[in-house]
Amino acid sequence: MKRDPALGGETVEALEARSPFRFPREMVIGLLVLAVAWQILSLFVPPFIVPGWERIFGSLVTLRMDFVLITLARVVMALVMSFVLGLGFAVLMYGSTRIERYGRPIVRLLMAVPVVCWILFAVLWFRWVEFRIAFVLVVVCAPVFLVDILDAMRGVSKDLRDMLRSFRPTQAQLFTKLVLPATLPVMLTSWKINLSLAIRVVTIAELVGAVTGIGYGLVVAQELFSVSEVFAWTLILVALLFAAEAVLTHVEERLLRWRV
Amino acid sequence: MRGAGPIEVTGLRKVFHQTGTGEAVVAIERLDFVVQQGEMVAIVGQTGCGKSTFLNILIGLDRPTDGRVAVGGRAPYDDFDHFRGVLAAVFQQDRLLPWRTAVDNVRLPLELLGRDPGEQLARARAWLDRLGLGRFERAYPHELSGGMRQRVALARAFAVEPALLLADEAFGHLDEVTAAALRQTFVELARTEGNTAILVTHQLEEAIDMGGRILVFGRPGRLLADINLRTWPAASVASLRADIQRMLQDNAADPRFARAAEEQA
Repeated sequence: MKRDPALGGETVEALEARSPFRFPREMVIGLLVLAVAWQILSLFVPPFIVPGWERIFGSLVTLRMDFVLITLARVVMALVMSFVLGLGFAVLMYGSTRIERYGRPIVRLLMAVPVVCWILFAVLWFRWVEFRIAFVLVVVCAPVFLVDILDAMRGVSKDLRDMLRSFRPTQAQLFTKLVLPATLPVMLTSWKINLSLAIRVVTIAELVGAVTGIGYGLVVAQELFSVSEVFAWTLILVALLFAAEAVLTHVEERLLRWRV
Repeated sequence: MRGAGPIEVTGLRKVFHQTGTGEAVVAIERLDFVVQQGEMVAIVGQTGCGKSTFLNILIGLDRPTDGRVAVGGRAPYDDFDHFRGVLAAVFQQDRLLPWRTAVDNVRLPLELLGRDPGEQLARARAWLDRLGLGRFERAYPHELSGGMRQRVALARAFAVEPALLLADEAFGHLDEVTAAALRQTFVELARTEGNTAILVTHQLEEAIDMGGRILVFGRPGRLLADINLRTWPAASVASLRADIQRMLQDNAADPRFARAAEEQA
């Protein structure tokens, strides 16, 4: 805590107290313990059930890394589309309670349909594989964005709203100066949730009909009974998720540096 | 800054309906009074006497159930946009936008008014300097103490150069030393700038310290006394606190105050 004598000794938190990079020691130790336990287990269990790290890493170098980029591109494209759609419909529903009254049940219905059913619908309805995958991802992720953002918009503090209204803003100003920035933390959290969801869903979607991507790689590995390759792909998926989450956390820290 | 004109409150009544039961709750029974342009008024009363409800109606956030509040002949609720840049309010909580720095919070109303960005910044900085926060303009609200945040809120209100300045229990939650300093700043600034100022408070000292006019509200929302300290007999000021307190406890007008008001008139 800093004290400012010029201000009658009022205390202020150090302005420069920004959190510097901190080595994630606990996470690394936790993962290392898991890795060692896995290795020990692999010594007692046949490799077609629990392959050792040397086998998994051996498979890792043989994997097609372009599949990783393809899957990543699919996820990013679909998330961007889902976000735009979710935000757009959230704004519409926020602006009109009538649209919300009609829209909410549809959104709830979309969210209640299991992912597997969407994949089957996509296979039945569409021929183009990329469209199928994008459809499944968007139909799963967009409603999550919509509901999160709309709830956050509705939850903007009445005190802040009244304060701003006392200055007579236009509707557009009320939205851009208050509602949108107040919703930003929830938007970023929604991105994190959807990212994890999308990486899991895209893999399943790629299992059906795709000839590229991590999901397809998993199908091939399974057909070849290459357990170490399945684990290698899984490792990549997890690493991909961790990396994407780290990027989002970094973005979050930069955009939300005003938070306590 | 343009003059806002007198505030005329005529037969004002406000009734709320409880969401769950639909039961009617009278927040303001009846209010009638006039505040002249440039006057400084403190509204005192116990919790639940409709002080904040009245202020919300005056700001234009709420609509009267009956009667009328007019500022310069226009109703703040119905002629909402007319009051752009005319009035500014300081609330009980600072209500700063947490994602904006101090200077950006002060700039906010100027942005809404569409002022030139250079002017916004210059004026926001000038007001922060005036309130002793020049060195903290890049600080976010969570990095400031309660008193400092409330000063930023004051700067934000004054930056508009409003003709009508309203404060709703703005210093009540601060420690007495900080509150007294801020109250003094508020009164001085309001006098210097020539604003009509209305300070809502439940603290009698705060109202008496302002040295202007005191409106005593009883429950639910009715005028118990209208005291002008500038013309009030000096000998009676010392006992004023106890007299108002008694009036609030009895929730009834004191005939002596009515007589004194008539004599002043």
